[in-house]
Amino acid sequence: MEESVQTTFNEGGAEITVTNATNIGGNSGLLDMSFIDDLKNVTNVSDAVGQLSVSESPESYSQSKNIMGNMFYGINASKLNLAGISDVNGSIFDENSFEAIVGVRYCELNNVSIGDNITFLGHDFKIVGTFETGIVMKDNAAYISLDTLQNISDTQEVSSILVKTSEGANDTVVSQNIRDKYENVSTLTSSEMSSMLDDVIGILDTASLAISGLAIFVGAIGVVNTMVMTVYERTKEIGVLKSIGWKSKKILTMILGETLVLTTLSGIIGSILGILIAEIGIRLIGTNRFSLVYTPKTFILAFGITIIVGIIGGVYPAYKASKLAPTEALRYE
Amino acid sequence: MELIRLTNVLKQYDGGAVTALNNINLSIESGSFVSIIGPSGSGKSTLLNMLGALDSPDSGQVIINGVDLAKQKDLSDFRRQEIGFIFQLHNLLPNLNVQENVEIPLMDAKMSEKDKHRRALIFIEAVGLLDKRKQKPNKLSGGERQRVAIARALVNFPSIILADEPTGALDTKTGRKVLDVLRFVHESINATLIVVTHDRDVAKLAERTIEIRDGQVINDYYNR
Repeated sequence: MEESVQTTFNEGGAEITVTNATNIGGNSGLLDMSFIDDLKNVTNVSDAVGQLSVSESPESYSQSKNIMGNMFYGINASKLNLAGISDVNGSIFDENSFEAIVGVRYCELNNVSIGDNITFLGHDFKIVGTFETGIVMKDNAAYISLDTLQNISDTQEVSSILVKTSEGANDTVVSQNIRDKYENVSTLTSSEMSSMLDDVIGILDTASLAISGLAIFVGAIGVVNTMVMTVYERTKEIGVLKSIGWKSKKILTMILGETLVLTTLSGIIGSILGILIAEIGIRLIGTNRFSLVYTPKTFILAFGITIIVGIIGGVYPAYKASKLAPTEALRYE
Repeated sequence: MELIRLTNVLKQYDGGAVTALNNINLSIESGSFVSIIGPSGSGKSTLLNMLGALDSPDSGQVIINGVDLAKQKDLSDFRRQEIGFIFQLHNLLPNLNVQENVEIPLMDAKMSEKDKHRRALIFIEAVGLLDKRKQKPNKLSGGERQRVAIARALVNFPSIILADEPTGALDTKTGRKVLDVLRFVHESINATLIVVTHDRDVAKLAERTIEIRDGQVINDYYNR
């Protein structure tokens, strides 16, 4: 995934994104259009394009299929490649028109396709093309003419400027040059962006690992508890088996075998219940927001962990049972 | 021929506070029927556990069939080959049927499954339960369960059968029937039968009675 993110950011798109340093998520920190030409004059900058992003919040959360609201980007049609959009299925929107190209995820969520109309800020836009970048935020958005978006949102400025560096140039150096030259802007290179995403992915991975670890720990305690109780309940039986000549090793194998059967069965039942609960859950939440993915790897991993937990959980009670003195076991009530 | 010899066997519990067996010396002949009698807490069950290689003495020597038990690393093989145990409360495994319970001691025996079944059925028939071989213990009466326990104890052709109060949980009539079965199979395979009891009438059925009190042999006599 991390490699895919890095590749996606680098493929044909701008290497540096420039924003107003005072922009903290709102519209207050826009950039003047004239700044685009200023940036073109910076050493090793080969091209630059302004991009305006405007989102329309859903009227109500429950009615929206996109929990982030509808995001529209305005950009010059000829510079779409700087936004990372290289292949468009259909055609590209005309400048100053009410045409749009939309991401594949947007199409899925809103159940629209080429030829359909979508409404944004009270205006109808005709979908003339679709695209896929592999970046969720872009694939979940629509791109229209910059002039049109500026007109309907009543601004002549842009939210960010996408900068393409010259071939062989060091993006970090160019980025630093821009910041040195213009105090009120902040820059983000594609490698910094992917690094940030890497960090997010890393945090998600760690959180996922911690949750899995906790589940495994709780599961292991459950297995140990169940097996210890089973051994206690069968103490006398173990005493009888020992008195008629069963070896400690055989009793150890028997208890461990039972643990494995128990954990394998629980793995099967757990998997079935997990699928059922997930399917029911996704239907309760809504049909289009999330999709469930079942891979053989997930089930192999789950079963592997179940069996390892079973072995670990079964070893202690099995060892304890095998070491019981027959006379003690026979006296147990 | 001497089968069992106990020499100065001492067994204490609770760090020496309780002396279960106090320097016991005993010799038992092969093929004999011996009863061990004594009040509760006299040490008779501890003695039976020593003879069955389930427990080891703190000091002294237990020699069975020429084998010094203290010198054996793992007594499980010895128990399986030489000893047949019958408990007061039968201790059958509830999830197994009569035949499966009787076959448990044969689990590691080097014989085919068919031979194991055949061997088990011989003893199930000997205790009169062939028609109930597929039934679970909870479907049997107390006497029937004890007969299954007898079949299980004998299926390995042990040289010693140890019975700990085998009629203790049964009424007099059923207890007598169980003892008749026990005597019959003991004579059939010529095994040494040692029965622990507190019932003098049961003790009298044996050729020899050993009376124990406070961990010591206080009387040792032949009944006929």
